[in-house]
Amino acid sequence: MNLVIFIFIVLLGFTSYYFGRKKAYSIQATNTRLTALPQFYGYYLAIWCAIPAFIIYSLWAIFEPSIVKLIILSDYSNQGYLDDELNLIYEKTKSLSRGQFSGEITTYLETSAEKYLNLRSIAQNSKVVLILAIIIASIVYGYKRISSNNRTREPVEKFLNAVLFTASLAAILTTIGIVFSLIFQTIDFFKVIPLFDFIFGTHWYPAKAFVRDASEPLDPSMYSDTFGAVPIFAGTFFIALIAMCVAIPIGLMSGIYLAEYASTKVRQYAKPLIEILAGIPTVVYGFFAALTVGPFLKDIGTAMGLEVSAESALAAGGVMGIMIIPFISSLSDDVITSVPQSLRDGSYAMGATKSETIKKVIFPAALPGIVGSILLGVSRAVGETMIVVMASGLAANLTFNPLESTSTITAQIVVILIGDQAFGDPKTQAAFALGMTLFLVTLSLNIFALRVVKKYREKYE
Amino acid sequence: MKKNGVKMIKINSKNVDVFYGKKQALFNINLDIEENQVTALIGPSGCGKSTFLRCLNRMNDVIDICRVKGQIIINDFDINDKSCDVVRLREKIGMVFQKPNPFPKTIYENISYGPTIHGMAQSKNEMDEIVENSLKKAALWEEVKDRLHEPGTGLSGGQQQRLCIARAISVKPEVILMDEPCSALDPIATAQIEELIDELKKDHTIIIVTHSMAQAARVSQNTGFFHLGELIEHGSTDKIFKNPENKRTQDYITGRFG
Repeated sequence: MNLVIFIFIVLLGFTSYYFGRKKAYSIQATNTRLTALPQFYGYYLAIWCAIPAFIIYSLWAIFEPSIVKLIILSDYSNQGYLDDELNLIYEKTKSLSRGQFSGEITTYLETSAEKYLNLRSIAQNSKVVLILAIIIASIVYGYKRISSNNRTREPVEKFLNAVLFTASLAAILTTIGIVFSLIFQTIDFFKVIPLFDFIFGTHWYPAKAFVRDASEPLDPSMYSDTFGAVPIFAGTFFIALIAMCVAIPIGLMSGIYLAEYASTKVRQYAKPLIEILAGIPTVVYGFFAALTVGPFLKDIGTAMGLEVSAESALAAGGVMGIMIIPFISSLSDDVITSVPQSLRDGSYAMGATKSETIKKVIFPAALPGIVGSILLGVSRAVGETMIVVMASGLAANLTFNPLESTSTITAQIVVILIGDQAFGDPKTQAAFALGMTLFLVTLSLNIFALRVVKKYREKYE
Repeated sequence: MKKNGVKMIKINSKNVDVFYGKKQALFNINLDIEENQVTALIGPSGCGKSTFLRCLNRMNDVIDICRVKGQIIINDFDINDKSCDVVRLREKIGMVFQKPNPFPKTIYENISYGPTIHGMAQSKNEMDEIVENSLKKAALWEEVKDRLHEPGTGLSGGQQQRLCIARAISVKPEVILMDEPCSALDPIATAQIEELIDELKKDHTIIIVTHSMAQAARVSQNTGFFHLGELIEHGSTDKIFKNPENKRTQDYITGRFG
């Protein structure tokens, strides 16, 4: 039914566009000059037709359930039920009305269910009537307003402006929403686990939190030595460090090669080929690291008499570095190419060689962009999940030996949130605390990156 | 300048042809450049005067599709010969571009760039001296001596261009090529640069490409007129401007085309 109403409104919108434009043409035919192109009159009428209807429709959809609930539950007031019990009664009523209720059916419930069905059909019918009435009223109003001296372009453009604004607001509000959902759960987490233990504790073992019986009251002391995040912070930065050790030199050098040395033909083929790397899903990198690179490193290590874990930080970090190469090479290539030719000419004219020119003129000039691309790579490395989960193991070892396995913030969030979760449990909330930490780290990285870039810009432009 | 009454020829170009891909841009250019004089190259846009200028320090090498034929002899040595070291050549032949192009470095570093890459200074003091002298010769020292370690890009357009001239003369080149050095500058900055050019010709041979007839007449002793890739006429500036032999030269100078 709702879909029918929706389609009806949309169709009517199109029709009114047609009629609005037609009226504009007929005004034009009397040799009157319009204040806007005829299609604006069409848009104007279409907006008048659809928007009030949609607003009423969505308001109705928002308020209908709670009003119905209020009416149903008014029968049960003054009977001393608690809020939770009233909610239960309402849920029972709803499922009974759908015929899906399997519990004990009382007469009270039966009357409520009947009343519920009744109310819903009244609501449905009155909704259709109301919306029809509103559409007709607004179309008539809009149609009457269409005349040669009434402006239509400005309202239509204002409307489009509002649509664009709403679209950009959606992204911002989502970000704010995510941050808030993180904040509240994180605060709850730190009510149980002291902040100090989380930041400086060296033992991370969330599996311990599994053993709690949910019916028992929460005892913070049982979580001591469970949520010490140092090992996974260390693991995160260690793996990111390994990744950047691979990605920065290779990425930068290939970027410089592509921008300065490669002939047009080589560049034409090499650049898209490198960018293919960026298109490989991270899960593929993950099993490449876990099933190819990891065992390979282990074999080499064994041959050299070294103890190498099959799931090593080196395998995960190395493959992650390869994944990040195209970001750095492609971005730094763009930045280097955009350094003005006049600077190159100036340097060559001084008798500088190509490498001197690149080292002393082009690289410093491109530095803000290059730093930006590197920090973008670091953000990717810190936030990368799949490769670590698959290739570096899930046990949070506090180690700086690249040949051992270690774990990262992201991998631990996966470990915690995979499978069944209990809300309000410190174990689940630990994921939020980790997410918050990750968010803060990447945020400060980004702010730092912007600062660096801005500082160089001011200095050199 | 004459030695024993004979004009000293600094650069001697013979049968120079330049091609961009298949398109020929210069046809059989034969032009001698006198030492310690200012030679102006004039002509309408696209006539090849800048291309010729860029042949003289092999800046055309930077352009992939550009080929240069013929001989350009500087100090008895053909710079188009395979044995020519471009780095040494460009140390001897400096260049100033149309748009000021200071490096995104400090004023000091802009000047010390050339001497550093050619290993000209043994100590910090020596480098300081080179920087100071170059800036003084470019008539910029008084304006920037208190802010040598601020970025060169922060200077005004005219100052930037003088900074580029100072940068060019820091390696003591024998020849300075100037590609429309004043076209992006206001009249006051232009006058300063022109004065500077007159000063510089004591120590350097200068070749300047310009679109301004008046500028050519003011600063140069010799003038070459290019048209459609050919050197139509060359000789002393006096003669070219007052008594040109070729009809096209006369038309251009009097503003009948161009």
